Order: sequence, then structure tokens, then C-alpha cells
Amino acid sequence: MQPDTAKNPIVTCRNVEKTFGKGDLAVHALRGINLEIMAGDFATLAGPSGSGKTTLLNMIGALDHPTKGEVIIEGKALSGLSKAQLSDLRLHKIGFIFQAYNLIPVFSALENVEFVLQLQQVPKVERRERAITALTEVGLAGMENRRPGAMSGGQQQRVAVARALVSKPSIVLADEPTANLDSKTTAELMALMSKLNSELGITFVIGTHDPRVMQHSKRHIEMIDGKIESDIRS
Amino acid sequence: MMNTFNILRPLAWRNLWRNPRRTGITLIVVVVGLWSVLTFSALLGAWAASSRDEALGLLIGQGQIHAAGYMDDPNIDHLMPPASPELTAVLNGDMVENWVERLEVPAVVQSEYKTLPITILGVDPAGELEISTLPSKIVAGRYLTSLDDDGVIIGLNLAKRLKTELGRRVILMSLGSDGYLAQQSFDVVGIFDADQSFEDNNVFTGRSLAQHYLGLEDEISQIAFTVPLDENLPMVMEQITAAAPDLDSREWRKLSVMLAAMDTSMGSIIYVWLGIMIVMISIGIINTQLMAVFERTQEFGLMRALGLKPKMVLILVTFESTLLIGVGVLLAVVLALMTVYALSDGIDLSAFAQALEEFQQAQVLYPTVNTSDFIIFPLIIWLLGILVALWPAYRAQKVSPVEAMRNAT
Ligand SMILES: Nc1ncnc2c1ncn2[C@@H]1O[C@H](COP(=O)(O)OP(=O)(O)O)[C@@H](O)[C@H]1O
Ligand SMILES: [Mg+2]
Repeated sequence: MQPDTAKNPIVTCRNVEKTFGKGDLAVHALRGINLEIMAGDFATLAGPSGSGKTTLLNMIGALDHPTKGEVIIEGKALSGLSKAQLSDLRLHKIGFIFQAYNLIPVFSALENVEFVLQLQQVPKVERRERAITALTEVGLAGMENRRPGAMSGGQQQRVAVARALVSKPSIVLADEPTANLDSKTTAELMALMSKLNSELGITFVIGTHDPRVMQHSKRHIEMIDGKIESDIRS
Repeated sequence: MMNTFNILRPLAWRNLWRNPRRTGITLIVVVVGLWSVLTFSALLGAWAASSRDEALGLLIGQGQIHAAGYMDDPNIDHLMPPASPELTAVLNGDMVENWVERLEVPAVVQSEYKTLPITILGVDPAGELEISTLPSKIVAGRYLTSLDDDGVIIGLNLAKRLKTELGRRVILMSLGSDGYLAQQSFDVVGIFDADQSFEDNNVFTGRSLAQHYLGLEDEISQIAFTVPLDENLPMVMEQITAAAPDLDSREWRKLSVMLAAMDTSMGSIIYVWLGIMIVMISIGIINTQLMAVFERTQEFGLMRALGLKPKMVLILVTFESTLLIGVGVLLAVVLALMTVYALSDGIDLSAFAQALEEFQQAQVLYPTVNTSDFIIFPLIIWLLGILVALWPAYRAQKVSPVEAMRNAT
């Protein structure tokens, strides 16, 4: 691990506020978030429904602009970047695992994983090799040619994990990744992500209100009403 | 750019077949629309060509030569001598199939009951057999047999109006060359069946006989000629004008305003139809593609979140429409080719013969494939289809990557 990534945060939020709507109808989803995500973090972002977890993940993942404040990813401030530049930044720096609808339905598992590498213009042979390795890593060897429709929810989430990994991002963001999974599958998925964190040093931030997820957490961030209530490393 | 294409191609192609119902609807709209334009244009083309050929074949030919002034004032003062050797050489050339010399003067015809204005045509029956379809339209009696034939051929409707019939006599009167009224009685030896106004206006007799009755020598008032290949016509006209600069030579488009107008209006009708179909197809495409984009909001959000640039989403959706409409256009062209081919043995319209009497219309149509129509119309539909599909594509490009997180709680 390079020394500077160890001391410099991957993502920094400075006084981030996000307001939806205007006037009486305005919803203050984030009210002044200050947060640093460090390399190697395995952080859970918890809090009641509506507390702003998803909105904050959108900020960290460069999917949306804050109303006020600044988000900095690896030293680069996001304000002032064009949509195309933000796309590039997400492509190279951030992996995503969503609650559902993670995969492009007309692509097989392998093609879904390869897709981001193709966007990164990784040559075909290397692309194929890395995608197969990633699928094997998440325990999906032999499933390469299945389309999402022919896979269970847990398998789809594993493909999403493989895709999030394969592009070698600085950080992987997951929003309620286990919401649609049963206990056994949840346990398997969490074990997989923990292992990737401890063995490969991949940084995770997971939005969740699922206690089964929180028990794997190495850093627990609690949100209430758009603010960080507590931030505890264990 | 190549990379973009490689990434999007399989995606676009597979997305086409994802919603078979919607793809089917769009395809049907495009196929039916374009197929109807192509088939309709082939049928109209056949109709226009057959009515033109029918009219030209009866009397006009592809062109005529008159004495200067005759067209404005078609009377006995504007006659001309028979074709000069130079003109004869041109008319006997390769590009001209046949030609005849006619005497044509205004006259009145009189029966026991009625007097009606007509045109006398003094013709060379042997030449007319080669050039005109009129001899084949005799329904009672016979056609003329010689230049000196002293019988007349009249139309069915004229016979009815004159209350005369085969074997009866009629009197023709017109201004003779001496300025006095010339008149002579003729046997009705044949009755022809053409369109009504042609039947009412034309009375045929032998040319020499007509010249004699009018007190003329060998003067004529027109030379009609046929040129089988329309593309040769301008050159023939040029040669004729060179050989007979003092005469008034015209091709059929300048002889029959009606036919020329019909020729172009057939073209306009097909463009009107094309316009209607374009509107229909556009509405169909916008509808289905907007629906598709709307349903796939989360998918576009996902792709945007993964790092696809907005422009790439625009290209993807446009590419999908391009393929979809392209498939429809190809199907339509194949179907239209098959339809026209199936009809190319001729469409028999004789069931409508009565109605067709009004037009100068043959009873069998032979539709053919007009290559330029079959290239231009599909291209227009394809390109305009892609153009209208840009709107749904633009909407897709606008989808925010935040949509990917949407159903997270
Ligand atoms: N696009 C939006 N428009 C309006 N309000 C929104 C939008 N997105 C989120 N909100 C509101 O912001 C608040 C935080 O939402 P969210 O971040 O989804 O919370 P969580 O993920 O913790 O459940 C909620 O009150 C939600 O209704
Ligand atoms: Mg949420």
C-alpha cells in the first residue's frame, strides 16, 4: 500500500448540504456533513429510513451535486466537473453495488463484469481474463454465461461485487445491498465483502439498516435527520 | 469512436428484441407505412404510364409536327407540305418507330337530326395501322382501307348523338381551301369505341379523299411519330427541329397539357401519401421509443452510474432506433418487391371498365419496380425515423445516474 493513500482520505465531505425542493416544500436531506473515508475502511452507514444515507452515498459516489459544501475524491473537488468528467471519475475510481437492478439485463454475468473494463478501454484478452478472475473470486465460476434473469438475487449481487472490484476502484459503495436477500445469502455476501476488504484492502462504504450487515462493520457511522450522529471505529 | 461502437453494438442489438411486443408494434408501423408507399407508388406509376400510353397510342404519338401557327389556330390556312427529304430522313431514323401524315381540320357533321362540331382527320390507313390503336377499337363495321376511302369512321357516342348508325350517311361541312364552304356526304363504314370526348370530337376518313373534298393538293396539317424510348425523345426533337426549323415540332408533354399534368400529379399524390405515412410512422416511433426509454430509466441510471457518458446513452438509444427502423425498412422493401412482383403479370381492371371509360385507361395495369423510388423512399423513412427517435434518445441521455439508487430505501 502506498504511504500517501494511507494518510490521505479517499473521500472528504466538507459541510455537505443537500436540499430537495424549494420554500415550504424543501426537504433538507443532508444538513452539514463532515466526513473522511480512509483507505481500507469498511464502513457502515446506518440510520432510520429517510435519514439521508442514500443521499450521502450519492454525494460520495459523484452521482449528484451537493447544494452546499464540497466533496473531494482523492484530492479532486467535484464541483465544477462536467457530467462527462464525473462519468469518467466514477468509471475509474468508484465501484457500485445497488440494492436491486444492478445488472444490464441483456448482458451475461461475464459481459456485465467486462462492460466497465470495456468502458475503461482495457484490451479484450486482458478484459476477459480479469472478468473471469473476478467472477471466480466471488464464487461464480461456471456462471459466466448466465443472464441476470437466470440468476438468484444473491448471485446477482455477487456479479455486482465482481463488477465493482474488477475495475480496481478506490472505493466501493453499496446501498442496502442485502435488502432483498435472505439471511444465509446475506451472511455469504457480507463474508465475501469483509474478505475482500481484509485481504485486498478494498475500501467499502455500505448504507444499511440491516443489523446482519453492521456486525461486519469496522467503522460504524450513524445518521439521523441528515446529520452524522456518531462515527465509531471498532 | 470505434470503441464506442464496439461497446454499444451488442447492447443495441439485444435491446431490440427485449420487448417483442413493442418492437413488433414499431416494426409493423414502419413496414406497413413504407410498404404502402412503395406499392402505391408502383401502382400509381403503372396507372399513369398505362393511361399515358393509352392516350398517346390512340392518336398523339410521342410527338407531332405542325405548320407554324396551326396549334394556335387549327384551320385550313395553317397547313404544310408533306415531309421534306431532310425531315423524312430523320423520321426514318433508328430512334423513331413509326410516323404518319394527317390532315386535320375543324368541321361540322350533320345527320337528319342534328349538326355537331367535330374535327375531320384525313388519314393514311396503312400508316395508322402501324402507329395508332384506333383501328383496334372498331366495334362495328370496318376501319378505313385506303387513302381514297370515301367512308367515315365515327365514335360510338357521336353516332348516338347524331342518331345515326352503320351504313347511314352523314354530311361533313368545313371551310374549303378557296374560302367557300365545302361539303360532301359520306357513308358511315365503322364505329369506334374510345373515351367519350374522343368519340365526340373525331371523325376519320381517307387522307387523299379529304384533301380532294377540301380542294387541296397534298397539304397536310400534322405529322405524328412514335419514339419507344422516352429518353431518346429530346434528341429526336432536336434532330426534327434542325431538319425542319420552320415547322412547329412538339413532344407529347407540350401537346397534351392534361397528360403532362397527370404525369406530374401522380408524383404529387405519392408525396402526399408519403407525407401522411411519415407522420404516422413518426408518431409510432416517438410513442414506442419514449415508452421504452421511460421503462428503462433505472437501466440508463445504472449505466450512467457505472461511467457511461450522457453522449454514449444518446448514441445507444439512437443506435437502437436506427437498427429497429432499419430492420423495418428492409422488411418493407422486401415485402413491396414481392407485392409488385406478384402483380407484375398485370392487374385486370376490366371489372371497372365502365368507370374507366371516363379516363383514357387501359384495362390491365402492369406495375413495375421504379428503382429510384425503392431507394429514395426507404432512405427518407429511415433517416426521418432516426431523426424523430433523437427525441426519446435525448430524454434517455437526461436520465440522472441517481436513478440507479432509486429503489433503495
Ligand atoms: N429526489 C428527491 N426529491 C425529494 N426528496 C428527496 C429526494 N431524494 C431523497 N429525498 C428525501 O431526502 C430524505 C433523505 O432520503 P434518503 O437519502 O433516501 O434517506 P435514506 O436512504 O436514509 O432512507 C428523505 O426525506 C427523502 O424523502
Ligand atoms: Mg436509502
